[in-house]
Amino acid sequence: MDGTVKTGSRTIYELAVPGSDPEATLKKVFAHWLEEKKLDAILVPAISKTGAVTRSLVSAPEKIMATAPLLPAMGINGAGIIAEIAPDPGAKSKIGVLLRPCELRAVVELVKLQQVSLDGIVLVGIDCPGTYKTAQFLQIAEGASDFNNNFIRNQDAYTSDSRLRHACQLCEFPAPLVFDIMFGFLGMNPDEELLVITAGEKGAVLLAPTFPVPLEPRQDEPAARVEFINKLRRAREEAIRTQIRELDERLLGAENVVRYFADCLNCHNCMKVCPVCYCRECFFESDALNRNQDEFVRFSRSKGMVRMPSGTLLFHITRMNHMMTSCVQCGICEDSCPVSIGLSVLFKKVSRNAQNAFGYLSGRALEEPLPLTTFREDEFTTIGEG
Amino acid sequence: MAYEPKIIGFLCNWCTYAGADLAGTSRLQYPPNMRPIRVMCSGAVDSVYILRALLEGADGVFIGGCHPGDCHYVSGNYKTRRRMVLFNSIMESLGLDTDRVLLRWISAAEGKRFADTVTEFTEKLRQKGPSPFKTLWEV
Ligand code: SF4
Ligand code: SF4
Ligand code: FES
Repeated sequence: MDGTVKTGSRTIYELAVPGSDPEATLKKVFAHWLEEKKLDAILVPAISKTGAVTRSLVSAPEKIMATAPLLPAMGINGAGIIAEIAPDPGAKSKIGVLLRPCELRAVVELVKLQQVSLDGIVLVGIDCPGTYKTAQFLQIAEGASDFNNNFIRNQDAYTSDSRLRHACQLCEFPAPLVFDIMFGFLGMNPDEELLVITAGEKGAVLLAPTFPVPLEPRQDEPAARVEFINKLRRAREEAIRTQIRELDERLLGAENVVRYFADCLNCHNCMKVCPVCYCRECFFESDALNRNQDEFVRFSRSKGMVRMPSGTLLFHITRMNHMMTSCVQCGICEDSCPVSIGLSVLFKKVSRNAQNAFGYLSGRALEEPLPLTTFREDEFTTIGEG
Repeated sequence: MAYEPKIIGFLCNWCTYAGADLAGTSRLQYPPNMRPIRVMCSGAVDSVYILRALLEGADGVFIGGCHPGDCHYVSGNYKTRRRMVLFNSIMESLGLDTDRVLLRWISAAEGKRFADTVTEFTEKLRQKGPSPFKTLWEV
């Protein structure tokens, strides 16, 4: 296992922000890494001239200007891209990947699920107070100038902005947990300074011997930042409690559960966009559960009438059993559901409970084994007895 | 017709299945409500099989495995145990009945424990009444 992250070896710096332009400062840093061959390429969000809100894998330093590191829009969870780039160990090149906290957490889960190798990957984290769906972003940002920088300047708006993606409004991890290097701005004045934290060698080598922007070592993270993050988390916890209370009124019990998923099209979008759903071929897309015509008649006779397409609820509850211990609650499933089934708050509840049952938190640490791949002989000893 | 619970049983080949056999050869009486399915290890019972049975009309699902420490594949049943914890957590989060799924360790020598378990589980499901999914066609 790649031991990139050792909490003990974190080093903290303050990064100057020339021209009071935090986004340009980040671009300068990224371009420098490419110029100095510290990285062969870097994955950064970008918005194209045609209006495509997406990510880009940049290898030419001069192309960094066309990216948007602070773009507050998210169409997919970037961990899936890392699985596409780096499924196998032994890469000779080095790619930096700029990812949000929920994306980093999903990468950590994918490493444990042996779907990603961090050998040639440098995890570059960034604070994230929330994101918009891409279409929403285009609408809001239309005609606005300096939108991305303003988004990280107006930090009072984060708890009241109901246009943020649903999952983001319920996100309690606005700061990266696992990374090689990260950039922070929460609770700070990003026109004057950004925070840089390195965790281990892989991150540290990016800062030496030369760096394009003045860096000042610090003892700790700024107190204002810690306080801001705590405040944001408290507000989000409050929102989570309220929404789970409302959810329970609609969800609990067999009839309600059936109704909750009643509109499901069985399109499996939620599974396909899930960053941690890792099977190369999903059981539910295999022939395993197929019935032939005669079997459908028998199936129908079991209750006199049956729902078609069949097996939607079976798909959902089984998927929960397979994925909830690794779910990072990024909510991309809900954003991708054509019939708006409330998966974000549902999975917030179900995955939290599931992870709590094992004292596990998805994406917290590479060293923490997946709950279903490990066990202790002296745990849960009442199960199976009696 | 009076309600009689329908139970789907997944029995580990190396222990509970043999225990069921022993119950039979020892002529122990127990209710005929369980349809046994032989599996190679309790660890082979994915949640999809439990759920499919429940959603498609079973009133209960029974899983029988080797006692901790005795799994033929060393640790299959320890993993079954963790999966049961996860399964129950998810069912509880959804407000669904966790009493309709029973996991029990029953060795090849425990014919009586097998018969008692089926008797007890059948009785419990008789008292609970039919599974709500039995009549929900829109599942
Ligand atoms: S879920 Fe959290 S980390 Fe992910 S995009 Fe939303 S606010 Fe950012
Ligand atoms: S994306 Fe929505 S409609 Fe499609 S399978 Fe998932 S819940 Fe059902
Ligand atoms: S072999 Fe019986 S539980 Fe694993």
